[in-house]
Amino acid sequence: MNLPNYFIADLPPEATISAQLVADACQTLKRNRERQLGAYTTPGIVRVLAELGDNWLQPDYPFRQFALARGPAETGFSVATLAAGLDALFGQWSRENLHALLVQELGHVQRLDEPCATPEEQRAGRQSLVTGPEMLAHITAGNLPSPTLFSIALGLLVRSAQFVKCARGASFLPRLFAHSLYELDPRLASCLEIAEWRGGDESLEDALFAEADCVTATGSDETLASIRRRLPARTRFLGYGHRVSFGYVGKELLVGFSAKKAAARAAADVAAWNQLGCLSPHIIYVESGGSVSPELFAELLAAELAKREETEPRGELHIEIAATIRARRDFYEVRAAGVTDTRLWCSENSTAWTVVFEDDPRFQASCLHRFIYVKAVQNLDEVLQGADAVRGRVSTVALAADETRAKEMAIILARWGVTRVCPLGRMQQPPLLWHHDGRPALADLVTWTDWEMG
Amino acid sequence: MKPSSIFESYAARLRDFIRRHSPADGSVAADEGEFNALALDLFGLHYAHNPAYRALCHARKQLPLDVSNWREIPAVPTVAFKEMEMTVLCPDERTAEFHSSGTTGDEPGRHFHCDASLAIYEASLLPWFQAHVLPETLDGPAGFTFVALTPPPSLAPHSSLAHMFDTVRRRFAAEQSIFTGEPAPEAGWRVNHEETLRRLREAAAHGLPVVLLGTAFNFVHLLDRMTDEGVSLTLPAGSRVMETGGYKGRSRELPRPELHALIAARLGIARDFIVCEYGMSELSSQAYDTVAGIARESQLGARESISKPRSSRGNEAQISGKSEPPHVGCYGSESGSRNFRFPPWARAQIISPETGDEVGDGEAGLVRVLDLANVASAVTLQTEDLAVRRGDGFELLGRSTDAEPRGCSLMSL
Repeated sequence: MNLPNYFIADLPPEATISAQLVADACQTLKRNRERQLGAYTTPGIVRVLAELGDNWLQPDYPFRQFALARGPAETGFSVATLAAGLDALFGQWSRENLHALLVQELGHVQRLDEPCATPEEQRAGRQSLVTGPEMLAHITAGNLPSPTLFSIALGLLVRSAQFVKCARGASFLPRLFAHSLYELDPRLASCLEIAEWRGGDESLEDALFAEADCVTATGSDETLASIRRRLPARTRFLGYGHRVSFGYVGKELLVGFSAKKAAARAAADVAAWNQLGCLSPHIIYVESGGSVSPELFAELLAAELAKREETEPRGELHIEIAATIRARRDFYEVRAAGVTDTRLWCSENSTAWTVVFEDDPRFQASCLHRFIYVKAVQNLDEVLQGADAVRGRVSTVALAADETRAKEMAIILARWGVTRVCPLGRMQQPPLLWHHDGRPALADLVTWTDWEMG
Repeated sequence: MKPSSIFESYAARLRDFIRRHSPADGSVAADEGEFNALALDLFGLHYAHNPAYRALCHARKQLPLDVSNWREIPAVPTVAFKEMEMTVLCPDERTAEFHSSGTTGDEPGRHFHCDASLAIYEASLLPWFQAHVLPETLDGPAGFTFVALTPPPSLAPHSSLAHMFDTVRRRFAAEQSIFTGEPAPEAGWRVNHEETLRRLREAAAHGLPVVLLGTAFNFVHLLDRMTDEGVSLTLPAGSRVMETGGYKGRSRELPRPELHALIAARLGIARDFIVCEYGMSELSSQAYDTVAGIARESQLGARESISKPRSSRGNEAQISGKSEPPHVGCYGSESGSRNFRFPPWARAQIISPETGDEVGDGEAGLVRVLDLANVASAVTLQTEDLAVRRGDGFELLGRSTDAEPRGCSLMSL
């Protein structure tokens, strides 16, 4: 597949991107938005997005085929991991889901098109419509593509011109996605730009920030603070900081087949996008007192990860990351040789997967790439005490517990600051309607105009 | 050492091996069989008398009976020196302990020594140091003033580097040699700049060549201060630097070529007189990346030329080297001219972090060192340093700065 030179990210690697180029691109995007997007209604854009999502699910879709053919070399994910990740993402892009998202966030499907009213608004004699930003800039993280692609979809729904700044080495899938949009609907794609440069290039980013009226960014607290500092006061900023996630297995499920099933689900969460997302688990906490002990659960998880590796291999790693994993394994191997409450299971002749069991409830950040801790705990309280250091920075907690307990735990977790509770095995498959970091998706982007009809 | 006679007999064989393979003695190629026998014997001793090591071997199911080649000897990760007492010495036998220079707040790795193991340590370090930093002295004594930028051992009793510098000072240095480093509560060590500069100027005035020894961060401290004050020296011909890597957050970090360009600019010591050392507290032998002055020697064809005074023009040429792109000249990664090499009584392997197997020539991996002089702890050490295998040596890899971190939840907690 030969991609035409359409986006900045299509430029050959040796080409230098200048601040002027960024500014010019933004001007062009705004002009195109002015000329093109007026003709679109929300149902029209939803139709395009749903069709595009459906295309990406088709095995013979050339863009998908290209993504899977070149993806392993470009992204480090194996074909199977990529395919699973794309399916999880685009499987959500149905018309029904997009409609539901509009209703959830804006109260009405047509809120972006014309003044309209919910029954409550009707009674109050009021109609409202919302307007998206003219120019939306996204500063995306380099780990996995799905949040970037979803952000683009949101930007299209609110009719913004969009400039997507990818991290170095992370533009492959966003770029491919943009080309797939261009093929399906070139007018919509003319309001989208994809570029890649090393984060923190202030001259390029300042040129971008000067043009944008809304900036979204994913990154470390320092990155977000630095971006926020550099934005003009009137620019809306939506920052998504680093988050961690973990799983929790209740003792009632730690019997026979349920335990094995829970281990398989935990393995799916570890394998999805190679554990690189904020929603991927660092730790699976396992309650003591079930007929399968936490240590045995760790062994089951190791077996499941070994099985996963056969069907959905992790793929190759940069040597420095492999060295980090090796060093961490060494550490736990040494510890396991000295103490009995630490154990280590890992893939042979590769760093493909690692399970560390510890009888210590303190939160421990994993080095990821399918390196998972299993920690024995008495109860959820013990987990939350041990995770105090990351309180406020926990995104997802995946539960394997019976329903009554799950509800109680969800309440406790919510009050503690967790923003998403999901079943084990679904951590990297947030529904389209989810609240990223506890915030609305579309509603944060738009500005309301209330019309009080008197 | 518990059954001291057993270790004594090993130590005697090792000393003999070192003596026969020292560069001063013509450096004959090591006999593979003899090396292997020594390595396996030391492995057996460590297995028998170092309980922590034995536990590791058991965990890996690698026992002496199963090992017939030195390459198969279980390697101890450096982290084991933090987590365990990786030693054959009972507490009452330990007379010295060297600590790894971890980042602040970390538990340091501890390498215990007794007088006998320290004596081996010194017997190992001296000939290889001499061959690389002071090759002229192989032909007979020469008067060098040593200035070590670390604190002296009395103020840094747990620094293997200070001990090493003191060992080479006692052996090779003129009387006026000195340590100009001081322990600093926050930064670990700091260099006494006034004293260092005074000593260097004094040596310059007397025309005495200087051997300046220190860590990379020692040099950055010194050179930054010299830059701030606008001070430049041209040290007497034959002066040289031995620099050993590692910053651990104690100064700004400079890529090696930049550091060496700065040394050339501020101290007038050309790159071919800057020798890099690779060593660590957990080892008893060191690797060096060049022989002082050897580039010039091969250029001019005679050892005598080393001591010829350089013209100021020559210095300018060196200083202008600052603008050279990295990885050229003596850093030529293809030429292999500045690759680290251990002495014949220690061997480095470069191990793939992915597979655990030795990599091919030109490939990158983790440095693993078998050190026959590591008598009191473990014979094979697995480091966390990445390097490219180059022939019988290796080229250390700096931290890659190009890759942006992946994994949005990878944060320091």
